[in-house]
Amino acid sequence: MHRRGVGAGAIAKKKLAEAKYKERGTVLAEDQIVQMSKQLETFKSNLEEFASKHKQEIRKDPQFRVQFQEMCATIGVDPLASGKGFWSEMLGVGDFYYELGVQIIEVCLALKHRNGGLITLDELHQRVLKGRGKYVQDVSQDDLVRAIKKLKVMGNGFGMIPVGGSYLVQSVPAELNMDHTVVLQLAEKKGYVTVSEIRDGLKWEKERACHVLDHLLKEGLAWLDSQATGEAHYWLPALFSELTSRDVTPEEANQMTP
Amino acid sequence: MSFEWPWQYHFPPFFTLQPNVDTRQKQLAAWCSLVLSYCRHHKLYTLDVMEAQESPVFNNKKMERKLSVEAIQVVFEELRKKGNLEWLDKNKTRCLVMWRQPEEWGKLMYQWVSKNGMVNSVFTLYELSNGDDTHGEEFHGLEEWMLLRSLQALQTDGKAEIITMDDGKGVKFF
Repeated sequence: MHRRGVGAGAIAKKKLAEAKYKERGTVLAEDQIVQMSKQLETFKSNLEEFASKHKQEIRKDPQFRVQFQEMCATIGVDPLASGKGFWSEMLGVGDFYYELGVQIIEVCLALKHRNGGLITLDELHQRVLKGRGKYVQDVSQDDLVRAIKKLKVMGNGFGMIPVGGSYLVQSVPAELNMDHTVVLQLAEKKGYVTVSEIRDGLKWEKERACHVLDHLLKEGLAWLDSQATGEAHYWLPALFSELTSRDVTPEEANQMTP
Repeated sequence: MSFEWPWQYHFPPFFTLQPNVDTRQKQLAAWCSLVLSYCRHHKLYTLDVMEAQESPVFNNKKMERKLSVEAIQVVFEELRKKGNLEWLDKNKTRCLVMWRQPEEWGKLMYQWVSKNGMVNSVFTLYELSNGDDTHGEEFHGLEEWMLLRSLQALQTDGKAEIITMDDGKGVKFF
């Protein structure tokens, strides 16, 4: 009877078995790759067919766009990744977001002198819709977020800061670190913030709070109000709700610096 | 028609002179616009600094914010630099506000004169600013100091000549 175990013969056998498994493994891997390629090809052509059928819907329906984007994301495709090629040509998806990006830049530039380059997503949405007129496609906040992400990648100084359940869109390359962002979030509720509120709410030292507030003043994002009861209030025009949806007047337009 | 306040008027920090230089520039530009449009709307030609403090322009009672005397002086100095304001006294307590330049006023008056075929007629200053004929015209009610300057501007242009008459001044348009 054979004894399974140690011995030169057993080791050699083991090695041969391993080699065979490896070879088999390689063959298996190649098989798999060929299979997967075929699957991807099918997937891609199905997607193309889907896209061409639904091109109109993509352009017209914001809800549809969201679902389409999410679907692309699950297969690791970014329809906005390149300006040319299948996605923009077949679907016009790239064009749609490119044009939207241009509109967003225009709105932000027009209001920069008022809010220092910071605007709520809500206000941006309102104004973009206004600028589009009645007969153009509807645009959702999801669309804006995607367009802004694209702008960010292109290095336009764009960024998004999460505040109070939505976002503040930053359109100038002002240096805003975590400290600044956190104070902006604190200011979101009332449109202003005070040193005491920062100390109480964030448990910071007075110096740290003042440093941040000074920076916001310097960047033109905040204005000082020294007539408030108690202590100075630091107001952010971007969060000043009575300001939103007020059109830019001719006088203001004259004051704007490029 | 009631006066429309700009958004800044309802923004509390607007009444605090801003420490940041760039922001202050924007703020002062907005204040200058506001003062001039307020004066234009109410046809104010002179302002008294002490009275101005209590005027709704510089004192937003509802919001409990007002521009300090120092800040008002800064705004007035801006207006003076732009050519829209002239001090009447050395102590800077009263000033003339020119929300329209004399040349523009002169043009308006000349237009009215030629439109009505009254070139070569002579008018007294009173007739121009307060006569029944000019009722409804923008220059109706124009204060004499501004009226004179406007006519002087026309005179320089050769479009009018100021005449001294028995009981005051008059003007002939060419």
